[in-house]
Amino acid sequence: MNRLFLVAVVVLLVALPAGATPIAHREVLSNGIVLLVAERPAVPIVAVRVFSRAGAVFDPPDRAGLANLTGALLTRGTAKRTGPELDSAIEFVGGSLEAGAGRDGMTTSLAVLRKDLTLGLDLLGEVVLSPTFPEPELKRKVAEIQAAIKRSEEDPGTVGSRALSRLVFPGHPYATPVEGTQASVAKLTRDDVVRFHSQYMRPDSTIIAVVGAITVEEARREIGARFGGWRRPSTPAARVPVATPPGPPPRDETIKRELTQATILLGRQAVRQSDPDYFPLVVGSYVLGGGSASRLYGRVRDEGGLAYSVYSYANPSKYGASFVVGAQTRTAEVPRVLAIIREELGRMTREPVSERDLQLAKSYLIGSFPLRLDTSSKVADFIVAVEELQLGLDYADRYKERIARVTAADVQRVAAKYFDSDRFSRVVVGTVP
Amino acid sequence: MAVLLASVLPASVHGQDSVVATTLDNGLRVLLLEDHRSPIVSFQTWYKVGSRNEHRGTTGLAHFLEHLMFKGTQKYGPRQFARLVEENGGRDNAFTTQDVTSYFVDIAADRLDLVIDLEADRMHNLLLDAKDIESERQVVIEERRTRTEDDPGGFLGEAVGSIAFRAHPYGQPIIGWVVDLERITPEQVRAFYRTYYQPNNAVVVVAGDFKPAEVLEKIKQRFGGIPRGPEPPPMLAVEPPQSGERRVTVSRKAELPIVYVAYHVPNWKSDDAAALEVLSAVLAGGRTSRIYKNLIYDRQLALDAGGDYSYFSFDPNLFWFWATPMPGQAPDVLEKALVEEMERLKKDPVSAEELQRAKNQIEASFVFAEDSVHRRASLLARFDFVGGHAEKARFLERIRGITAADLMRVAGAWFPLDLKNVGILVPKP
Repeated sequence: MNRLFLVAVVVLLVALPAGATPIAHREVLSNGIVLLVAERPAVPIVAVRVFSRAGAVFDPPDRAGLANLTGALLTRGTAKRTGPELDSAIEFVGGSLEAGAGRDGMTTSLAVLRKDLTLGLDLLGEVVLSPTFPEPELKRKVAEIQAAIKRSEEDPGTVGSRALSRLVFPGHPYATPVEGTQASVAKLTRDDVVRFHSQYMRPDSTIIAVVGAITVEEARREIGARFGGWRRPSTPAARVPVATPPGPPPRDETIKRELTQATILLGRQAVRQSDPDYFPLVVGSYVLGGGSASRLYGRVRDEGGLAYSVYSYANPSKYGASFVVGAQTRTAEVPRVLAIIREELGRMTREPVSERDLQLAKSYLIGSFPLRLDTSSKVADFIVAVEELQLGLDYADRYKERIARVTAADVQRVAAKYFDSDRFSRVVVGTVP
Repeated sequence: MAVLLASVLPASVHGQDSVVATTLDNGLRVLLLEDHRSPIVSFQTWYKVGSRNEHRGTTGLAHFLEHLMFKGTQKYGPRQFARLVEENGGRDNAFTTQDVTSYFVDIAADRLDLVIDLEADRMHNLLLDAKDIESERQVVIEERRTRTEDDPGGFLGEAVGSIAFRAHPYGQPIIGWVVDLERITPEQVRAFYRTYYQPNNAVVVVAGDFKPAEVLEKIKQRFGGIPRGPEPPPMLAVEPPQSGERRVTVSRKAELPIVYVAYHVPNWKSDDAAALEVLSAVLAGGRTSRIYKNLIYDRQLALDAGGDYSYFSFDPNLFWFWATPMPGQAPDVLEKALVEEMERLKKDPVSAEELQRAKNQIEASFVFAEDSVHRRASLLARFDFVGGHAEKARFLERIRGITAADLMRVAGAWFPLDLKNVGILVPKP
């Protein structure tokens, strides 16, 4: 592998077409819905996402899990059809219709063959606009969610992530798990769900992405016919405070479990895409623990044989961002793995990354971008995210440009801000002495 | 515009993939599928070796070797594979099943030459350095801890597999028993590599944005020079018919019990395979399926439950059913409820709507798969192993022809009440 070849690679990847092309058509309907359409005519399928700013961040403090329960109930009955009738209608044509809440928003997803688009959109419109939240369905879902929370206690990754969110975002909605707790879910009522739906699912807080074998004109007509009459409330939409770094002082937590392996998670608050530090952070994270060529992978896994899973990543969201380093290792090696993570974090702050490491990270982040957009579903998720985060529909191109400009000095400067190992909260799940 | 559109439509939309399929002089099978929608390619190398080819005492070899395939050759030193792929914006990974070991690189189409070179090189020139083998041994044991030792479902699945098969290696875990992983020698790894990593035991599948004639030429240039190896030894084991029910109970730390029920069933070679595939959709395909509707929705016995048939299995395998009881529900109630579903299938024909829905679901899933070049390539490989890539069209024909009477007959033939393999996980307080 000689240096010349490498340089050629980078130049090729960076030579992007001038005048970035938006990935989707965008328009705002009269009731405030942002409609995004990306035509992908080759395969006769259509993927639709209806995203509303109605995620778990809007749960009242004493109603954790409300958005999640509301999402789970959207497909469980509408003014026209019962839950089982909705299931039958969509599954008979081999399609899927799913709804669920995340931290930031409520997403209802439709995937259908092109020939079944009318039916699919009818069902989608019903579940978003006229869910009836039948009481028996609510009881059933509450029991299921509680059981799922109970079962998740045996999964060290889930247990660890929940604890880490609590340590990294104290006082912020991100500290609370989307699904709530067994106790908080037990208190939720149908009135809570009805109120949440009417308060947060509103057209001026909604993005609809339509991707696949459909034209802009068809999408406008079909979406307009079903969602155009959705009335915008006069009250202003709710706001959520943004968590900003550095965040709280670091804390440690050990969660005892009878396991042969310990799950280690280090986390802290970081920055979102709107911050210029974001791009050096992504590059730095990739060098540290982003792939099979990363430093942590090399030392902990390849050389040390200490772990199957070791990684780092930046996790930007609408109302805050975190940077996380994680590994799973046999109980006896926890101190050694922690020491290596600490050393490598420190090294990122003390030394500029080598030219080769820098170029590898940048080439990967830039060159692999098309792989993130190779199906209609991936495109739909991507355009919803860039719209919601206000990154612009040419973000794919701008991301590449911004990554390409990152220097070793940028990475070191941003590492000095965010990679100081003393500033990370730490969770260990397992049998730790 | 219409003409333009037609030219970018994948041929399969019209019923058939336009695949260039050929076998090189050294026995390497090559399948090429043009798809110009995105400037990317999926390059996949499938070796016909999996845990099925392993023997007692050295279980886990195929998967262990999969890990070592990333450890370097003479030409590309240790850890260069991942570096080079990532430097070129590609994503690579691999997986091992009971039957096959598959490696893939998804990458920008103009980087295909590099991938061809890397894959051809490691088919023949892997270093398999003793020191790398030692450190990777620990990595694999860590992977086993994650997937099996510390995962109640994985742990129970392994236990059920091992009672269901007495003679056939499908009863051995793909990742291997830990006592074997600790003892496998570098010599055994090298011998396994030499035996199975031969061009005449592999299939290369490429789907994406390229010209088949050009790429075939490059594959010939780079892979063609690898000499044909001796034919790998045939796998001779045959599972004798089961006599009597088998069950295993595992007691360990867990929040909820788990129930597995598995039946021995035929694979794609059987005339019953298409009906079993439809049966799988009737029983476990979505929220309208019988298991979901009856066990989860109506009776609220299970938190989750389902079933899985492996049509593509090289040898006859298991039809798995599982259920996680809701808190307060006993595992034997769930076992009974699952078995009742089988019994009902034997007595009453499925409704016309259920049958049609199952068929529509299977058919639609093939159209959805067309959206990704990676999945297109994988499906091609799967069908090529079961009689040729053109089998895909025939498979759908067979699915369309299945009747309610077929399903009733197949349920009677393959879900005998007294020949279950049952596993129960009982949580330790």
